[in-house]
Amino acid sequence: MRMLKALSAAKWNFTTAAHLLNRAGFGGTPDEIERLTAMGLDEAVSHLVDYDKIPDPTPDPDWARPDPDRMEKFLAFREMNQALKGASDGKRKELEEKRREMQREQRQTQQQHLLELRGWWLERMVKGPRPLQEKLTLFWHGHFATSTQKVREAYFMWLQNETFRRHAMGNWLQLLTAVAKDPAMLIWLDQAESRKQHPNENFAREVMELFALGEGHYTEQDITEAARALTGWSLNRVQQKFEYRSAIHDAGLKTVLGRSGNLTGNDVLEQIVAQPQAARFICAKLWSYFAAENPPDELVSALADRFRLGTSHFRPLLETMFRSEEFYAPEVIRTQVKSPTQWLVSSVRMLERDLPPPMMTSNCLRQLGQDLFAPPNVKGWDGGVAWITTNNLLNRYNFASFLVLGRNAMPSVMAAAGRPEQANRMQQRLNWINNRAVPVDAGRLFPAELRKDHDTFIAALGKRFLQTQMRQKQTTALREFLENEGEMDDEVVLNAVRLVMSTPEFQLT
Amino acid sequence: MSSSNPGLKTRREFLRTTVLGGALSWTVPAFVARTFAEFDVPATNDTQVATGKDSPILVILQMAGGNDGLNTVVPYANDHYRRARARIGLRPEAVLKLNDELGLHPGLKGLRELFGEGNLAIIQGVGYPNPNRSHFRSTDIWQTASDANKFEKHGWVGRYFDNSCRGQDPTVGIVISRQMPLAFASNNPKGICLDNPENYRFGSGDTGDVLIEPSEESLRELNRPEMEGESAEANSGASVGAVSGTMRPHGSVLDYVERTALDAQVSSEQIHEITRKVTNQASYPGGQLANSLRLVARMIGGSMPTRIYYVSQGGYDTHTNQVPTQARLLQELGDSVKAFVEDLKAQGNFDRVMLMTFSEFGRRVAENANAGTDHGAAAPMFIAGSKVKAGLLGTYPSLAPDELLNGDLKYTVDFRSVYAAVLEGWLKTASASVLGRKFEPLQIL
Repeated sequence: MRMLKALSAAKWNFTTAAHLLNRAGFGGTPDEIERLTAMGLDEAVSHLVDYDKIPDPTPDPDWARPDPDRMEKFLAFREMNQALKGASDGKRKELEEKRREMQREQRQTQQQHLLELRGWWLERMVKGPRPLQEKLTLFWHGHFATSTQKVREAYFMWLQNETFRRHAMGNWLQLLTAVAKDPAMLIWLDQAESRKQHPNENFAREVMELFALGEGHYTEQDITEAARALTGWSLNRVQQKFEYRSAIHDAGLKTVLGRSGNLTGNDVLEQIVAQPQAARFICAKLWSYFAAENPPDELVSALADRFRLGTSHFRPLLETMFRSEEFYAPEVIRTQVKSPTQWLVSSVRMLERDLPPPMMTSNCLRQLGQDLFAPPNVKGWDGGVAWITTNNLLNRYNFASFLVLGRNAMPSVMAAAGRPEQANRMQQRLNWINNRAVPVDAGRLFPAELRKDHDTFIAALGKRFLQTQMRQKQTTALREFLENEGEMDDEVVLNAVRLVMSTPEFQLT
Repeated sequence: MSSSNPGLKTRREFLRTTVLGGALSWTVPAFVARTFAEFDVPATNDTQVATGKDSPILVILQMAGGNDGLNTVVPYANDHYRRARARIGLRPEAVLKLNDELGLHPGLKGLRELFGEGNLAIIQGVGYPNPNRSHFRSTDIWQTASDANKFEKHGWVGRYFDNSCRGQDPTVGIVISRQMPLAFASNNPKGICLDNPENYRFGSGDTGDVLIEPSEESLRELNRPEMEGESAEANSGASVGAVSGTMRPHGSVLDYVERTALDAQVSSEQIHEITRKVTNQASYPGGQLANSLRLVARMIGGSMPTRIYYVSQGGYDTHTNQVPTQARLLQELGDSVKAFVEDLKAQGNFDRVMLMTFSEFGRRVAENANAGTDHGAAAPMFIAGSKVKAGLLGTYPSLAPDELLNGDLKYTVDFRSVYAAVLEGWLKTASASVLGRKFEPLQIL
């Protein structure tokens, strides 16, 4: 059977269009989905894929540039350390105190920038004109999982984020090379520390095992030799950028994946990407991210063929994927667990509310298990059902209540425990975070004509939040809720929204 | 179905009739039966519970960040130690002496008392071959019990659950944390995690016999798993054993989320019931670790069916100015564990609980230029319990410079032989299938 045939026009409808927007982006409102539906499959896909035709005027964070005072700070630190060596006990205390103060200040600045960076990125996901570019950037962040815990420099994390964004749809070798030379990766996998005398194998190993080939498609010997070839790729910490240092490069003979010569870092990456397994590896991972986990072998082969035909560029591959019958198969639609980021961004979009301030969203994502710019390790987030633990699920329900109603369980828990004052303070803080007591405009989401009877309202709820018809059980439960409540005022409507967001179904997309 | 029934007023009744009486044939029978019993419904069958009153319990305490073992179990009389630790070394008169050579950090008064009572084993020089100095990697190695060059998907606790606790209550493992540690990853995920019982609530979380709001009832109804033909059987009052029916096929993602939602709901009810009923009988210090252990003690006292609890304490990554930081952490550790033990003794449960500490690595022998220490290798583990072979176990690694490995202590005990001992001696299960191969169990009991 020929694979990756285009979906027939007859199957293009609200559900399939919603699926495309959910997976290639972060979902949207019923209006947005209707517009996509009206475009037809080809135009809808090209609208998402050919995003470079859409201008993106988002300004960079104002601190996102090399630190002009870097040299001075280095010198000041060095001076301080030197002074410490010869200092008397009294003087030493004073100097140490001063050094701690400097370090504390720096840490605070970094934390502040990181918080802004998280907010900046989430804002792009929620409101930016190129949802697929942000979705891919998130994919690459999880794929080349790099953590600020070790990099400790918000500027480098931003640079890497921009590298992902710039090359998101580009050529595999170019992306891999750009990522390898980014300061964040040079620090994260110790390439910056690697030299001829002591080649560090960390990056050489992970680029084969986790980034490009997968276990079983290279030998330990390949890693050792690749590490030698990669020596010389280093970091200029003052200018805060990549630097090639020939003095620490091992120019001797090496053999990596069957290719021999006085190989360089570029040669190694070229040789890796040239392996037939390289195309299969990255295609399978992209399919798992956008469509469904564990794609069958023949599908991976078809994707890899398409990828090679497009000279290892991601644009034609993704275009084929998003138009394919397989992408819209019933076992693919609404069977993916939303990542915490997907959950937050798509919820904000469906609710047509503002993104809460970074302090709140950072905390939310951390509690739900996806601390952006701080993946747990180089393997990245496990994803899929691993996102769902009892704790995380309860937290999702609790945050949903906050996003919709502007309150969470804590105030009522406190009130019930006989601490009304604390409950009050807590609620005031939440209101302040949301800028207002009720953060969602119920009248805009559900105008009078959608509230004329229970069935109309329940259908509208399903359309907006699940993009599908609800199961009988859910319909019954909601109808009973509405019957009990009587008049469908804003409070009741928002409570119903919160209920729908607090279901197993809503955790899937 | 529920809100239109005026007879259903309490959460208990609600749970009993809709969640339990309704539709749980597919979920673990023991779990249902247990929960059923938990809510005072006369048990009509004799389904076995996950852990009986007398089953052993293991509490794992992670000291995250890499605790400096040399300043924890201190070779105070050793010249190499004094030379390597000119600034941050502990003086002989400061340590809590264990014998003529070793003493505990002065913050560990609580542990010193347990040692004196014969309730503490100190295992010296624990590590593994080819030690890795990355926090992430080394933590993974400890959590998966893998060799240093192997990447395992599942954790050692998870494999224990897979092998020995099939079909049991999800609360067979409880992690007091936001996230599941890799140690719990398994084929059939089990165990729940919670970071704060106040937040671990389904809906608005009111507990007890208060009237629940209609929206809370609806929340439960919306999260209830569905079964075919349920409308005919719901509220039929059938006993759990009699509930049957065909369900949607197992294994779908939605199925998994529904099951977790149910686990979350019922375990949060259980935990709140217990935290309401059971009070602590010892006075704990402040701090996160003490709070975690306090909660664990209450859950043990409330007869949760849990075999393994997991708590952690962070902050041990002391590259700079180590002395005050480590002193604060160890003080918290010692006092918290001591209070926990007192609490269990007062409950009469101490005999069935073993607490084991671990840290991903110790630190370099030589202090660094910032009055701290960098990532190293072997370090001690503590095991508290009334049945442990109290005293110093294993051998303290040599500090002689020519016997160090890249400036680190060479391990004398593989941590997997400690796990093997815990699995075989304490949890009464075969260890080779959990640990991947046979490790000679260390004599800890």
